[in-house]
Amino acid sequence: MAEQTALPRGVRPAPYPTVLKPYGNALLELARERDDVVCLSGDLTRQCEVDLFQDELPERFVHAGMAEGNMMSMAGAMARRGFKPFVHTFGVFATRRPFDQVVNSIAYPRLPVRIVGFMPGLSSPGGPSHQAIEDVAIMRAIPGMTVVDVADAVETRQAVREIVDVPGPVYLRLKRGEIPVVFDDTHRLELGQAQVLQQGGDVALVGSGMMLTSVLQAAEVLAGAGVRATIVNVPTIKPLDEETIAAVVDTVSGVVTAENHTVVGGLGSAVAEVIAEWGYACPLRRVGIADTFGEGAKSGPHLFRKYGLTTQAVVTAAWDALGAGGPPPQAPDLPVAAGEYAPV
Amino acid sequence: MTEPPTATATADELQRFADGVRLHAVRMVAPHGMGYLGQALSSAEVMAALYLTAYRPEHDRMVCSPGHYVIAHFAAAALTGQLDAALLETYGHEDSDLEAIGTERSPALDLTCGTLGTGLSGAVGLALADRMLGHDGRVFVLTSDGELQEGQTWEAAMFAAHHGLGRLVALVDANDSQVDGPVSSLTTVEPVADKWRAFGWDVHDVDGHDAPAVADALGRAAESPLPSVVVARTSTSHGLDVLPPDADGHFIKLSPELAAAAVEELEARRG
Repeated sequence: MAEQTALPRGVRPAPYPTVLKPYGNALLELARERDDVVCLSGDLTRQCEVDLFQDELPERFVHAGMAEGNMMSMAGAMARRGFKPFVHTFGVFATRRPFDQVVNSIAYPRLPVRIVGFMPGLSSPGGPSHQAIEDVAIMRAIPGMTVVDVADAVETRQAVREIVDVPGPVYLRLKRGEIPVVFDDTHRLELGQAQVLQQGGDVALVGSGMMLTSVLQAAEVLAGAGVRATIVNVPTIKPLDEETIAAVVDTVSGVVTAENHTVVGGLGSAVAEVIAEWGYACPLRRVGIADTFGEGAKSGPHLFRKYGLTTQAVVTAAWDALGAGGPPPQAPDLPVAAGEYAPV
Repeated sequence: MTEPPTATATADELQRFADGVRLHAVRMVAPHGMGYLGQALSSAEVMAALYLTAYRPEHDRMVCSPGHYVIAHFAAAALTGQLDAALLETYGHEDSDLEAIGTERSPALDLTCGTLGTGLSGAVGLALADRMLGHDGRVFVLTSDGELQEGQTWEAAMFAAHHGLGRLVALVDANDSQVDGPVSSLTTVEPVADKWRAFGWDVHDVDGHDAPAVADALGRAAESPLPSVVVARTSTSHGLDVLPPDADGHFIKLSPELAAAAVEELEARRG
């Protein structure tokens, strides 16, 4: 068993440095090498970091305007002609609005369209219309859809190359703006694999996307209270790495999932399915948005606090899952300088 | 813009082809007692003009946007030899690739859509891809007046015109028929031709049962640098006199007796 004092495998200490446009740069690098990569944007070109693509490769850039249904159906048709279309808009407009087109023009024909949805969950203070809180659930329900929710800039860069040759469609969920660098250079994202970043044995903390940093912090807080947490990073929510998750569940007394998404239909539900179908009787707590819509605000971190997407929520859930009794340990506030990132 | 020469056909050849579409469609629907016969009756002359004078399967793309119109495409493809005519007997039956509403399994088409309003976007995507690939084929897409109610049609129309997709040709089967009744009684889609014109398209508004007129429009469409649309004014009962006047054009009931009379009428006319 690893020493609890060491950092989890491949992880930097918090607070994390941030970078800009890791996705946009990675896509451009890929497109320089591959003529079949085309880029579509639904009037959110800079916001989705593909202004870099537009500037350098305008002949393979398609401005589809504010018409997401048309954009998805066009992308499917372009994939039929041998292209690998990467389609960009905010997560809400990539899933809710053109759902029928994603299903019928892309997924049912199993076409290699990469749908990239920015601004996951409550990371946007823009209110319910702009907060993709159920995108993972609805994309996960589509047969043959690969669903990826990465945690940081290192995974973002690697994900672009991991998904380009997937035979069917992919939904890639990306944070917008300043992207934390959580992992060091030894980290490798492999599509379809969950990673055990730390062996603990008391409780499993299973996180994806922006909630991975909360999981990492929560593990430290729990360690201070004598609870050894196994940390599992799940960038690929579908197809889920059931074997790794089941193997972890087999060794712990409680499981906590953490996702920047409604607790209905996302990572928490997927892990619950594994626990039930593999026949484990293990307490599960799902940290996420509690089957409610968000709201507009001034900042995303405020909403993360208000809706329970915090380190403390993960700690409390673990405490509860273990039936530890007494008040849970308290997560300290992490001071964050400009240009740094830490979970709330 | 230079176009490879397209075939010509006489009015008699076109009419015989159109009635051949009708005859195949009657035989495909008859075993089921009801089906999408009206769509074949209304689009028969459009199919004749398209398949005999414009569409080159090795070079062009064919999209059937309203998936229940695949019956007319299957019939036309059987008449041109693109599809084994014997397969038409399996139309709509268990385990057949010739499903009544088009799917990925539908033969003889590049794209078809059961969910209406998405086919024009697909055709636009194919045309855009062709341009990027330097391929000079045309993309034909059948759509219908009822389908114009789907807003995505107009998203695609706007995009196609802005990007000057001159090799894209839409054919609107304007048969004034949708599930709940005549299109004109439910949602006014007129003026259809003016709408396409306003969206920046080259528009040809023709009698859709005048096959030479449709063929002429397709020929002129090939010369336009704009995306083109042929608005074909049609009826779901055209060319089959034995149909009762109150037949439901969207989903026609076809008793064995009526089917036999229909076959007799069409065979007599085709000679």
